Amino acid sequence: MLRVLAALLVGVVLAIGASVSVVNVVAPSPEPPNKPLYNYGNR
Amino acid sequence: MRFHRAVRPVEVVPALAALLAGVLALGSALGPGFVLRYDMVFVPGPPLTWPEGGFPRAVPSDQVVALLAHVVPAAVLQKAILLGIFLLAGTGAAALISRERLEPIPRDGLRPGHGSEPSNAPAAPTGSAGEDLQTSGQAADTALLVARVAAAVFYVWNAYLAQRLLLGQWALLLGYAGLPWAVRAAMLGGWRRLIPALLPAAAGGFQAMLVTALTVLPVAAVAARGQPRVLVRSLATLAVLSLPWAVPALLSDAVTDPRGVEAFAARADGPFGTAGSLLALGGIWNAEADVPGQSAWWLATARLVVGVFAVIAFARLRETVPYRAGLLVAATAGLVIALTGAYVPGVLKELITWWPGFGPLRDGQLYIAPLALVQAVGFGVLSRRTAAPVSPTTVSPSRRLLGGGQGREEGPGAAGRGFGARVLVVVRAVGLVVSRRVVSPSVVLPSRRRLGGGRGRGEPGAAGRGVGVLLPGVVAVCLPVLVLPSFAWGAVGRLAAVRYPADWQRVRAIVNGDPRPGALLSLPWSAQRAFVWNGGRVVLDPATKGFARRVVWNDGLAVGLENGRLLRIAGEDPLGRRVGAALDAESSLRAALRGVGIRYVLIAGENENTFRSRLDGAVLVYQGGELVLLRL
Repeated sequence: MLRVLAALLVGVVLAIGASVSVVNVVAPSPEPPNKPLYNYGNR
Repeated sequence: MRFHRAVRPVEVVPALAALLAGVLALGSALGPGFVLRYDMVFVPGPPLTWPEGGFPRAVPSDQVVALLAHVVPAAVLQKAILLGIFLLAGTGAAALISRERLEPIPRDGLRPGHGSEPSNAPAAPTGSAGEDLQTSGQAADTALLVARVAAAVFYVWNAYLAQRLLLGQWALLLGYAGLPWAVRAAMLGGWRRLIPALLPAAAGGFQAMLVTALTVLPVAAVAARGQPRVLVRSLATLAVLSLPWAVPALLSDAVTDPRGVEAFAARADGPFGTAGSLLALGGIWNAEADVPGQSAWWLATARLVVGVFAVIAFARLRETVPYRAGLLVAATAGLVIALTGAYVPGVLKELITWWPGFGPLRDGQLYIAPLALVQAVGFGVLSRRTAAPVSPTTVSPSRRLLGGGQGREEGPGAAGRGFGARVLVVVRAVGLVVSRRVVSPSVVLPSRRRLGGGRGRGEPGAAGRGVGVLLPGVVAVCLPVLVLPSFAWGAVGRLAAVRYPADWQRVRAIVNGDPRPGALLSLPWSAQRAFVWNGGRVVLDPATKGFARRVVWNDGLAVGLENGRLLRIAGEDPLGRRVGAALDAESSLRAALRGVGIRYVLIAGENENTFRSRLDGAVLVYQGGELVLLRL
């Protein structure tokens, strides 16, 4: 039973953390850039 | 002779889980159209061409796509490849976990029960002991299933795969997906296993093959103890399958800018520095390839903890697991390469200056692929323990704390195995405080089988056992997703399918229908584009893949550094360098371009006038909203 409860606890905590993260990410994004040139990337 | 055998859940469920993870991860990328992001450029009806100039980075992957696109539409092919990566990777990681593989198996790959069964194998059960054995056997099957599914999910849902996918490096990921199969083949030996297992990497090209070689050779070397032929066979297969890119690379006059080390070294993508990021399978050089939201401290911490425990679990596998030592060596070597670029870049710069062939080492993070496999298998083993039925076997807490026990994974000397073992001992002590009776199934089950042991103190009944096995198992399987949740749905829209504007097809039809020779110059003079119709996602200029003639483009790269500086890495193609010099000069552009064999000039974007004003006398062949095509 303890193991089940521990699994539930871990699962719920991680699910909450994951939900918070996704909500943070799925925020309205700005208009895409209209640039013909772009860096390969930024560190 | 049996032609059909029963489909077993331990084989099918990991495949389904990997596929489901793939669908969830790709999301909107599976819609109609093409997924265009960084290095991932697919075009409709790609021509079969051989690259000229520069390092053959897309060989033979582009040629394979061009050939297959004759059979399957390129857009469908792209989705099939992307989903196939998930399927191949997940099933491969699962295939490395089996009851036999976690136990000693003979070097010829025979399974226990085929004339090589250990002498202490369980005897056929009878009576109540047999019933109990059957029950524990089913529970063990469930635990094994959980382990395989967990390994599969971990291997396809981690920062490494996500970041490389967001950098568009599907060709590298072919090698990543084939890696567990390559390890299995190297371990078991034989051409018939080795060649098919290495084919995905061979199709992927140089990065995929380098990662595969880094992994396969140590595994084969360990498996080949006393049998050099096994190692030679692996070497020969790797060498032959590398020829498609190695020959043009050696023949090309490409040069590598040592400053690329500064741009492409692994970097910290979370709160734990570069080393911590790498241990959590992240650390890619490009911040734009990070999974959105991945740097949140709670997620980064969870991924690092899971990764470290998975490595410890893998390292504690019994030494007779055939791929254990080799894979550990490969993972360590990969980590060292990645750390070298990050902490002592001067070493790599010197090497590249001495011989440009060391250039591929500058993007060191890609070599932690074997570490991902180590963690996936280790995570599977941990999940197997989590989901195993509770044991009645009494191993005294003090003995466990000392690392004692009779299990396969914890020999009498486990306590003396060093820091990792001591860490696990401490963690176990915490576990004992919490649950008082967490024992590895690998410790329990064999003895239960042999002895047909009855239920012990506190063991749940069948219903309780079901919940007790399934719930922790489900949590374990979902854990990789929960610690990197925003990889879902194309990393929340970072990957999405779009359609090319009609201009692209029209221009390609004109140029590819012209039989007269001459190269095409793609302008503006930059390798990357960020089209509005592609949602502003950065992508390699699609012109580099779409024409059945030499395309000259600026293969130099611009990378923004942490200090705000822009680092420009010189291009590798000598012709590209000459054209770049002509563009910089004040002289007549038309004459200079014709002098180096340019026939067409393709201008994308809104600033075509910048170039058209310098191309007096050029014939306007096509003008659309997106593209302008000129003939010199």
